[in-house]
Amino acid sequence: MNVRAKAQPEPLVSARGIVNRFGQQVVHDRIDLDILPGEIIGIAGGSGAGKSMLLKTLTGLHRPDAGEVLLDGKSVLSLGAAEKAALIGVLFQQGALFSSLSVAQNITLPMREHTKLPAKEQEQLAMMKLALAGLPAATGNKFPSALSGGMVKRAAFARALALDPRILFLDEPTSDLDPISASGIDALIKQLNGSLGVTVVIVTHDLTTLFSICGRIAVLVDRKLTIGTVDQLMKSDHPWIHEFFHGPRALGAMQARKKNHGN
Amino acid sequence: MTDLSANEQELPANSSRPKLVVSGAGDHLALAGALEIATLADARNSLKSWSKRGPSRSLDVAELDQLDTPGALFLCALRALGVELTGVRAGHQSLLDLICGLDLKPLPKAESAPRWRHFVIQLGKGCHDARHDLVEIITFVGRTASGTISALIHPDCLRPAAISRHIAETGIQALPIIGVMAVMIAIVIGYQGVAQLHPYGGEDLTINLVAVSVLREMGVLITAILVAGRSGSAFTAEIGVMQTREEIDALKVMGIAPMQVLVVPRLIALVITLPLLALFADVMGLIGGGAISLLLLDVSPTQYLTRLPHVASGGDLFVGLFKAPIFAFFIAVIGCMHGLRVSGSAESVGRETTQAVVKSIFVVLALDALFSVLFERLGI
Repeated sequence: MNVRAKAQPEPLVSARGIVNRFGQQVVHDRIDLDILPGEIIGIAGGSGAGKSMLLKTLTGLHRPDAGEVLLDGKSVLSLGAAEKAALIGVLFQQGALFSSLSVAQNITLPMREHTKLPAKEQEQLAMMKLALAGLPAATGNKFPSALSGGMVKRAAFARALALDPRILFLDEPTSDLDPISASGIDALIKQLNGSLGVTVVIVTHDLTTLFSICGRIAVLVDRKLTIGTVDQLMKSDHPWIHEFFHGPRALGAMQARKKNHGN
Repeated sequence: MTDLSANEQELPANSSRPKLVVSGAGDHLALAGALEIATLADARNSLKSWSKRGPSRSLDVAELDQLDTPGALFLCALRALGVELTGVRAGHQSLLDLICGLDLKPLPKAESAPRWRHFVIQLGKGCHDARHDLVEIITFVGRTASGTISALIHPDCLRPAAISRHIAETGIQALPIIGVMAVMIAIVIGYQGVAQLHPYGGEDLTINLVAVSVLREMGVLITAILVAGRSGSAFTAEIGVMQTREEIDALKVMGIAPMQVLVVPRLIALVITLPLLALFADVMGLIGGGAISLLLLDVSPTQYLTRLPHVASGGDLFVGLFKAPIFAFFIAVIGCMHGLRVSGSAESVGRETTQAVVKSIFVVLALDALFSVLFERLGI
């Protein structure tokens, strides 16, 4: 190992001085965020704190009032369509599967748009993504309306992975799911991060997800981000963050973390 | 590719794109560069025939920098054919383990029937649905009628606030568009009348034509079609959205009948407004007829007004307005029925709304044809 390899790697996502406003109300006040390749980072915050807005800014769906977002060193707003599709995948809160297409067609759509692979091969890849997301092959022919909540999330996962993006943005991946499905999704995120090396950004207020799989957590509170590991944030004396990490729900989630990390 | 004897072969790719380099010869090849979704086709082309050449071959992947899941799937397929992968990097090993360990099955073929059978199946389904629809409409008409009658018997159950809101939405707000449409229809009939009757020197009869057709048919028909498109669809969409958000279930749980709070007020409101709108359309249509008479026939407005009672009778007006509440009843019933039929998803709101509009316009025209024959036989 030489010294360079040990040095801090270049951030894959870099947000600089992000400001977002709704009319007079400031949602984000000069936010800075660096996300390193290969990490799982959670973005937490109260309801209405602007988590989803931050996600939309990071993915280039929303143009911030000030500041810029760099993905792999390039401004997200200037990325070409194919380049962006190869770089990021987004799992939307409701799945956002196209209702007029079957699950397999949903997954092959970005491939059809951005690669020249023959249809047969695209289908084969789609089946692999389905299996990766933990869905049986028969799901491929189903339409989104025929899927349960957990299956919708998994199918949306498979679609987000369609072009093997380097960064996955997940908006509330475990909301509306029963605890078993939610734990399944957590395990899936962890596995994909480990094997594919994909960088994962999770917007959630599911404490179990935050505690058990996120290396770092960025808490959005008072229009600013407080970033740290769970242990660092546990020691924070900001009242909201303290309440967040020491509330009754946090205790149960902490135990899950201990179990997961083997003490 | 049999002539892989060339020691190193660089595959066509422009400089910015990831490259895959295949090197070596015979049974032992090496890959270098990127094996990704973008270079997958290249890899497949260059290794196609090589991969099928019997056992004891090896592929060195130590120089592979980039490997993604499609690439890993490709390597797994080679491995399954008996190719030994050598020099796998630690980072790639876990990816290969994951992908090779997946239980992959092809997409099951959707069952498909031959085209001629498809037609028969569609026909059968259509008939089945039509019969189902008919039963449902009749049931719903019955339930609505009984609900309305019981509401009229016990006026406490009537919801005047809701009724007046629906009267405003379906009636007052529709006035401008219905007025404009009625005038335009009168102008169309008037123009055609003059053009067709002129050769026989009977263009004066255009006034009869416009007055009678507007009063008996056009006024009420235009109004009903417009209201079906405007208010019938709104009923379906409003109730349908409530259905998707479980608001209907919330009503039921509270012991409030959706029929009483959602259907009956809309029905009563529409039965009140549609005849009034039709009367308004009649008046506007006659004004349009007057304008045409003035422009094309040089009949002054006073002359036009004095001639009107001679060419059209109160019977014509009655025949037209008599149909209005019946049309209103069916438009409201069909609109509400489709609204309550919405099932959870948002796209079913769109589908039911389309169906409601098509069905109510069809019912309006079918009833109108029936009435025409009926009144003719009765001599009204």
